[in-house]
Amino acid sequence: MSTPTPTGGPAPGRPVRVVLVDDHRMFRTGVRAELTDAMASGGVPACEFVGEAPDVETAVAVIRAERPDVVLLDVHLPGGSGQGGVDVIHGCFGVDTPGGTPVRFLALSVSDAAEDVIAVIRAGARGYVTKTIGARDLITAIRRVADGDAVFSPRLAGFVLDAFGAAAGEIAEVDEELDRLSAREREVMRLIARGYQYKEVAKELFISVKTVETHVSSVLRKLQLSSRHELTAWAMGRRLL
Amino acid sequence: MPTPHEPAALQVTSPTGASLGASDPAGATGAAGAAGGSATPARAPRPPRPPLVRSRGRGWTPGVSAAVARHLGVSVTLVRWCFVGLAIAGGAGIAAYVFLWALTPEDDGTNSAGDPVAGTLPAERRQWGAVVAAGGVLVVVGAVLLTPVLGGSVIGSVLFPLFAIAGGAIVAWSNLDEAQRSRWLGSGQSRFGWMRVALGAGLSVAGILVLVTRGESVAAVWDALLAAVAVLVGTFIIAAPWALRLFGDLRREQVAAARATERADIAAHLHDSVLQTLALIQRQSGDAAAITRLARAQERELRSWLYAGPQGSQSTLAAVVTEVAHDVEDVHGVAIDLVVTGDRPLEPHGAALAQAMREALLNAVRHGGSPVTAYVEIGPSGVEAFVRDRGDGFDIDAVPPDRLGVRQSILGRMERHGGTARVRQREDGTEVELRLPAIEGELP
Repeated sequence: MSTPTPTGGPAPGRPVRVVLVDDHRMFRTGVRAELTDAMASGGVPACEFVGEAPDVETAVAVIRAERPDVVLLDVHLPGGSGQGGVDVIHGCFGVDTPGGTPVRFLALSVSDAAEDVIAVIRAGARGYVTKTIGARDLITAIRRVADGDAVFSPRLAGFVLDAFGAAAGEIAEVDEELDRLSAREREVMRLIARGYQYKEVAKELFISVKTVETHVSSVLRKLQLSSRHELTAWAMGRRLL
Repeated sequence: MPTPHEPAALQVTSPTGASLGASDPAGATGAAGAAGGSATPARAPRPPRPPLVRSRGRGWTPGVSAAVARHLGVSVTLVRWCFVGLAIAGGAGIAAYVFLWALTPEDDGTNSAGDPVAGTLPAERRQWGAVVAAGGVLVVVGAVLLTPVLGGSVIGSVLFPLFAIAGGAIVAWSNLDEAQRSRWLGSGQSRFGWMRVALGAGLSVAGILVLVTRGESVAAVWDALLAAVAVLVGTFIIAAPWALRLFGDLRREQVAAARATERADIAAHLHDSVLQTLALIQRQSGDAAAITRLARAQERELRSWLYAGPQGSQSTLAAVVTEVAHDVEDVHGVAIDLVVTGDRPLEPHGAALAQAMREALLNAVRHGGSPVTAYVEIGPSGVEAFVRDRGDGFDIDAVPPDRLGVRQSILGRMERHGGTARVRQREDGTEVELRLPAIEGELP
């Protein structure tokens, strides 16, 4: 792969500093409690909650003050210019962690609507998971995003396959092509859509987990930069709302 | 729409209104029927008369004759000939027709009295139809006037301009008809519509001019005309701001009403669905499995209501597969993560795949562990479906022959339909793969 994988993030031993942005207090409390329980039982990377926010303005202020490694970001939020999570990402443009890596966003949503998800990914989020995700999977996803990798839920992988026409058989001739997936990227997306973890994908395709992460990051980059009609239409639709 | 039902209700209590309505078309609007009903003794009850409403788009006419015929229970041809006869004999038919046209409410398609496919006619055709109708009326009137038997100075100088005015009014009013439908000069307003307004207005003005001058030169009434125009312009200037404000108020009210209706719809839906489910959950708060099932089913229902896309129809493979997964979820209370990409119309092979997938999902929720994930890819090169669970799995060779589930329902079914099925044993679960080749000649 010629695409450089974004690296960095907190040192392996240090806990990931997390800010939680969601307008439902019950949900924030629930996530905190669940993650604390999961960490107490061990076997997962450590996270540390350094702040939370219920709306766009508070979120931007908290993130600029705390400079966390990862922001867990709800797609729908009150305040701002009405674009929810997209506004938060725009408002925190250029904010780095004390370690020098950019603050990274993981979108968390109940919405099935493709335009919501694609809009927040194109704004710069490094992943998307649904709110029904288990605590352990969520911690793994947080750590992965903190390390600069991308996190795709099965549903997002399905969106990607649809949006890039990969499900209909469109395959890029060269890996660098932004408007289509390469054959390997398509394989990885298909396995993620089937519910495979990264290490299972790696085993299935006889590649390393690191290579899987590289492929997923490359798909994320295409998702953010491609001018493919389906993607721009979705993003436009969200912006015009 | 309360008005269209009014006449029907009145007619039920006084069925004799029919005779009045037949002799005087204007009376069929209901007022005359009600007035005359009390004087005559009641007859045996009859089935309720259909309401007097026009169904738009039945043809190129405004549908007055059809409405009257339906309401009175006589043939459309008879009503039409009555109108034509009355029109020739002094013009009463035209007056009655225009009167009924203006006062008869239009069926908006929800009324069962109308033709179910009536609303599907293109608007352009209706517009042209109205013009053709008006032109036809004018031609008939002209022909009648030009026949030497009826032709006379009185008819030539009075009736002809009157008909011209009526014709112009019809042409212009038919536009108002359209405009009402497209919510007051909405997007549907075409250039053709404006042309017709101008045509109708011109025709009416010409008629008025001829009527006023009575064959003398225009110069004789020039001063009066000028004064009239001045008064009209003055009135317009005075009334314009008020009219504009009234129009603005009307629009605001319409928007507010639309919002209120939408809100009421949402409230009604939430009440029927979410609030009911919450009440159920409170009653069954001890049963965790039941709560999960209720919450899951409600979430799905709400999602499909909120995000229902164009693939809402039940005749596509994606819709059927989704329904299958939801059914299994409902029955067993285990969440199934389903992702579907692509779509194609449902045919027997696809239906077989959906059935095989149901069996695979049932196996997964019964013998496997959660999360159960399913992925269906519908593409030009065929359909692939994957069902995966995280349980201990089952060994296909160890399945006793009498257990038909896997062997027949999945493997056999897929083979019969030209596809393949494979059960893969993984370290932490089982994955069933179903494949169908592309349909020949039916590539999307």
